[in-house]
Parts: sequence; C-alpha cells; structure tokens
Amino acid sequence: MSGFSDLVFEAGLVARSIGDYFSGAALRLGVTGLSRAGKTVFLTALINNLIAGARLPVLAASAEGRIVRARLEPQPDDAVPRFAYEEHLKSLSGPDRRWPASTSRIAQLRLTIEFESASGWGARRSGLTVDIVDYPGEWLLDLPLLDKTYAEWSRETLAASQTPARAPLAAAWRAALDGLDPHAHADEEAARRVAELFTAYLKRARDDVYALSTLPPGRFLMPGDLAGSPALTFAPIPLGDDPTIPSGSLAAMMERRYEAYKSHVARPFFRDHFARLDRQIVLVDTLSALNSGPAALKDLENALTEVMRAFRAGRSSFLASIFHPRIDRILFAATKADHLHHRSHDRLEAILRALTTKAIARAEGVGAEIDVIALAAIRATREAEIRTGGETLDAIIGVPEKGETIGGQVFDGVAEAAVFPGELPASPESIFKGDAIALPEADNDWRFVRFRPPLTQPGEPAPQIRLDRALQFLIGDRLA
Amino acid sequence: MSARPPRPRAFRLDDSRVAVDDQPAPMIPEAIVRSQHDPIPSAAPQPIDEAELEIEAAQKSGLIARSGFTFAGLVWTGLGGLLSLGLGLWATDLIEGLFAKAESLGIVGVLFGLVFLAGVIGVAARETIAVARQTRIAEMHMAFAAARAADDRGAARRLVSRLVGLYRNRPETARARAEVEEAARAIIDGRDLIDVAERALLRPLDEKAQAEIAAAARRVSLVTAISPRAILDVVFVAAQIIRLVRRIAEVYGGRPGLLGLVKLARSIGAHIAITGGMAVGDSVLQQLVGHGIASRISARMGEGVLNGMLTTRVGLSALAVCRPMPFSVDKPPGVSDVAPFLFTKGEEKARG
Repeated sequence: MSGFSDLVFEAGLVARSIGDYFSGAALRLGVTGLSRAGKTVFLTALINNLIAGARLPVLAASAEGRIVRARLEPQPDDAVPRFAYEEHLKSLSGPDRRWPASTSRIAQLRLTIEFESASGWGARRSGLTVDIVDYPGEWLLDLPLLDKTYAEWSRETLAASQTPARAPLAAAWRAALDGLDPHAHADEEAARRVAELFTAYLKRARDDVYALSTLPPGRFLMPGDLAGSPALTFAPIPLGDDPTIPSGSLAAMMERRYEAYKSHVARPFFRDHFARLDRQIVLVDTLSALNSGPAALKDLENALTEVMRAFRAGRSSFLASIFHPRIDRILFAATKADHLHHRSHDRLEAILRALTTKAIARAEGVGAEIDVIALAAIRATREAEIRTGGETLDAIIGVPEKGETIGGQVFDGVAEAAVFPGELPASPESIFKGDAIALPEADNDWRFVRFRPPLTQPGEPAPQIRLDRALQFLIGDRLA
Repeated sequence: MSARPPRPRAFRLDDSRVAVDDQPAPMIPEAIVRSQHDPIPSAAPQPIDEAELEIEAAQKSGLIARSGFTFAGLVWTGLGGLLSLGLGLWATDLIEGLFAKAESLGIVGVLFGLVFLAGVIGVAARETIAVARQTRIAEMHMAFAAARAADDRGAARRLVSRLVGLYRNRPETARARAEVEEAARAIIDGRDLIDVAERALLRPLDEKAQAEIAAAARRVSLVTAISPRAILDVVFVAAQIIRLVRRIAEVYGGRPGLLGLVKLARSIGAHIAITGGMAVGDSVLQQLVGHGIASRISARMGEGVLNGMLTTRVGLSALAVCRPMPFSVDKPPGVSDVAPFLFTKGEEKARG
C-alpha cells in the first residue's frame, strides 16, 4: 500500500548513512529500554565513569591504561536538546539524593574517548566518538506500529484488552466503545472522550502495581510537546468485519489521525535515532514485572519482541557500514541487579534470556553477537548475610525508598535495612505460569523494593556492577 | 507440594533486636546481619583450547608426573641403594683408618663427615622445596584454565589470591598486586577476574621472559656464526639453553634446582614433541624461508639462524610450561614475535 513512501524512507536512510560515514564515523550506541528500565541512570553512570577515569577492570583499554581521557563534545545536532548530564549527576549525589525523574523528551550527547591503540605498529593515539541518545522509553512502543494499519492495530489492541489481566483496567473505555458507531458521522467530542478513556486505561496499566509493558502508542503515556494535539486524539474502535471505512465517518477520522501519528511522530523518531545504529544495549526492568506477576512478564516479553523487530541487526561489513549500517552486537541487560544478592544474578540472567528468547534467536540468525548480563549502572546496595531463626539468607543492605514495604515493614527513606528479596526460581520457565497480575506480596515468592541512590564521595563515580563488562562488549573492540 | 521457599523480608539495621557485624548487640538477637564482599558467577562454560591442552599434557609428563612403578625405577632404586651402601662402607673404613693412625685425625674426619651430611640435607631440602614450588605453579596453571573455562568465581578468587601470594616478594609487582586484590573484592565474574589478573600481573613478566629468549637467541646465533669449531657451539648452545630455561622459570616465580630442571626439561621436551617442533603461530614455510635466505648468504650464518631458532623454540616451550596461567587475554607468542631478527635479511642481522 505504502510501497513508494517506504522506498523514499529507505533512500533517505541510505543518504544519511553515507553522509555519516564520510563526515567521520561516530559509533552510534543505541540505548534501548522501555520506560523505567534505567536508561538515564545508565547513561549518566557511563559518562561519569569514563570522564572521571574510573578504573573499569574488565574494560581492556581501561585495565591496560590506554584510555587517555574522555570528554563531552559540543552538541552535534542543533535541533535536539542536550542530555542534562550534569543535572542528573547532581540529583544522584548529595544528601537529598534521588533517581532522575522520568524522561519526558529526547536528548542527545556526544562523548569522545581518547585512547592509544595497542594493535598495529606502535602506539597510536586515536579517538572514539560515541553518540548517545536519551528518550522516554514509552516512545519505543511506537516502533512496532510502523508496520501496522489502523485496522490491524485496532483489532490487536481490542483483543489484548479482553485478556483476564487487562479486562478490569480497560472496563471504562470498553463501556464507552459499546455505544459508539464507527460509521456514524465524525464527531470531535466523541473522539476526544474515547481517546481520553483509552489514555487513562494505558496509564493505569503502566502503574507500578501492574507493570504492563505493551501499551502503544507511546505518546499517549508521555506526550512530550504534543500534549493536546489532534494527532493524539484517536483510539482503537471496533470496526466490525467490513473492511471498508466510509469517508467522513468517525472511523475514517480515527484512521487519518493514526496515519498522521505514524508519519509525523513515530517515523521521524525511528529515522532520526534508531535507523542507523552500530551497537545496541537493551535495558530491561525485569524486577518490576517479577513483582507484578506472570501476566506482566508475558506482556514484557511481547513488548520486547515487538520492539526488537524494528531494528536492523546483522553482521557488519565494510559496504554495509557505508550504505546500510547494521547492529552487529546486542547486549541484553537486566538492570537494577544490585537489588539482588549476586548469587541470584545468574538466575536473573536466565530469566532475561527466557524473556528475550525470540529476539535473541532472530538477531543470532542474522549474525549479530549477543550477550545477556545482570547489570547495575549505579550500585545502591552492599551485600550481607542474615542469620535468623535457623535460616541463612543472602541479603542486600541499602536505604529503601520512602514508602516501600516488605514483610510488613514500612520504610522511611532514611534507615538502612538488610533486605532479603526472596529466591528467584531455578528454572526460568516457571515464572511464566499463570495469568496473575498485580500479585499481593503474600502471594509472590519475591519482593523487590526500590533503594535510594548510594552516598558517594564527591567527584568519584558511584560503584557499579558489570558496567565495565557491558562497555567491553559494546565498545571494547573499537578501543583495541 | 514442596515446601515454600523462604519469604521475602527485611531487617532495619537500626533495630535494637538485630545484630549487625561487630556492633554491640542484644543477648539473643532476632537476626544477625553480616556484611560480605563477593563477586559474581555466570553461565556458559567455554571449552579449553587445543594449545592449552598441549601445554597441560606436557606439564603432566614432567613437572607434575606421578611416579608409578616401573622396572627402570626398580633398577635405579637397587643401584642407588648399593652405591649408598658402598659409599657408607668406604666412609666408615676411612674414618676407622684415620682413628687408627691418630685420634685427632679421626675427629677431624668425623667433623668433615658431619659437615658433608649437613650439606647434603640442606641441598636435598632446597631441591624438594624447589620441585614443590615448580609443581605448584604447574598445578596453578591447570586450575586457572579450568576455572576460566567454567567461569567459576570462587575458584578464580582463590587462585588469584594464590597468584598474588606467589609474587609477594617482588617489589616491582606491588601496584599490579594491589589492582588485582581490589578486583577480587569487587563484583567481577570469574573469567573476567582471571583476565584482569593476567593483564595486570603476567604481562610485565611475559615481556621479561620474551626479552630473555630474544637475548639468548641473539647470542646463540651470533656465536654459532663466528665460532671456529663445531663442538664449541654445541657446548655453548646447550649451556645457553639451560641458562635460559632457568631464567624463564625464575621470571615466573619458580626456582628450579637440579632435579627441578630435569623435570622441567622433560616437560619442555614433551611440549616440543607434542606441538611438532612448531610454536603456535609459526609456519614451516616461515622457518624454511628464513633459513633459506640466510643460508644463501653463508652456510655458517644459516647454522647460526637455525641454532637461534632452536633456542627460541625451547624458550617458548619453557615459557608455556612455566607460566602460572594459560594465555587467554594475549595470544601465545610465536618464534617470529620473540626473535624477529632471525627472519630479517643477513646484512641487517650482521649489523645487529
């Protein structure tokens, strides 16, 4: 249907790739993660560790002392705001330290790492430029929409809202749909009301208690600068079996707006930031979904598979790097690994591996390198052992956030506590069993509380878990 | 239905019923919290590569050979026993004779005998310690290979601390040791930790060992090229090789005595035999071409190059079996990496 526009889109991408290649190739590192996966914290920690020259023993170039320094470059793109690295760093340190607020708009930064090459003849000073993009994770959900028509999307969204996990959340919106005739004359008021109820449903499903993930379109959750715009005033409505949509009807208006959303919002976002990546790290907040229950995990798996389908993975070659860059290394990272004792990290990795099986199989099939790790870009806890009532428990010590509860204990955000979050299952398959969602604490075998950022010495990067290993996998070969 | 896993729960550290580390606590605390420092495990074992298996086979046939029953052993045991008895008889006869001549002479004889005995005990003790040390290094090498393959965090931490202990009395490794010890306390997976240790501790030692090999090869090729008699260079080459093997073992923290050197020589011989005379990364062609060019210039020069290559080859095998850790971050060096001057043209070599 839109073969020509696809062709134009592809041609534009090739032109940009060639331009990029000849204007000095920066490594484009795609940091992918749904909302609250920890993108902003990961980026802040990454920049901080490199700029401060922290010791990263597993990053070979750093261990061998070959990194001269890393510095921030002037913003490459004048139309995009700068990633507020200094502000994020400030909010993470100090006595009232807190995690950065959720990202509401796109931001960019360019980092140059000066190093001496160990390969080739003699020491050679080189620089690696890394382009970093931060954006609201919700927007990532728009990428799967690019390949779907309004009718397809409506059908899928309506079907999903009838599953046992979602039905109670979507009740109000679905009730409003019942009195709606898609072939009636387009009525702005009706459209606005349905869109509002639909948005409310999406927002509620994203709540921490439910922790659902597959909730497109992303701008409904985080409108950015589009709040109130007609491009956001649409919703899926039941179209019946008749594929034709009469012009001037409510359905036609919805379809037009959906297409406008795709071409003015989703496609530029993809084109500007994701179509030309070299390396990709996929941050996954596995712990929130584990807190909620099997339905949330299945939903997360579905969202990850859909999103990963939009990316171009594959073995890189010289020609491809000019015309058609491909992602040749993908790292799946389960973030917030510091919320667990390290003895559970391999189980967390196994769970993430199970969650991303389809995405991994697809990327490996085309020759991309894959790794799965448990990561904490900023480590907020230390480890301990609790002996109580004849049991020995692997625990972590940190300051839980105000209002967090576990085992009847409510925290005030000041006191340190030793937390035993429960045991993850040895076989990752067992976590997908059942349809439960928003499980109360008593019914779940684990409970992950959120911790406040750690107290750090001024000027020193916060401790991390496997950030160096992630960097070695993502950019280590470029620093060889 | 199986028992439910332990429930998630938390204990506030400022709670008076909780005992934390070494702080004062009530008589019967509800819970005891102990802080830990521990790194992380990970999945996916990696196979041990073939070059490493060859080195291990070589180590097994010399350095850590288990002595079983053999007929040759029986022969040597019998012969050794008879010889010791003979020596004892001779010594008793001698001292009796001395006493018969004059009592003071006999006492001097006894004293000399005691000095000899003390010396023998000392030498034997030193040899035993040296052999044990060399064996320990070889065992460490294998354990490192296994721990790296299994990505075993616990084993890696234990081995790394033993490695650090091995180089404790080397002041020049102070900084590297501190770095490795710090890494062992952080959350770093087993394989990564071993790599960190290799980079920090072994790289400088590798460079030193390779420099020794290069220097020996240079000396051997030069002396062979100019020596007037063939028998002289045979002696010289043999002496140089023994010295080189000893130096390499010392660089990596071993201290081979006479017996240790014999065991080491057996391992080196086995390694050369297993790898077919070729170092990893070298090709027959390269060695032949190198020899060919040189021999065209002069026959003696060609012999010099060949002897230099032999020395390098033995040196590299010695390096492989003496290294307390398998090569994983770095590639094992080849003849042309260590002694590139053997492959350059004759004129350059004559100048250098």
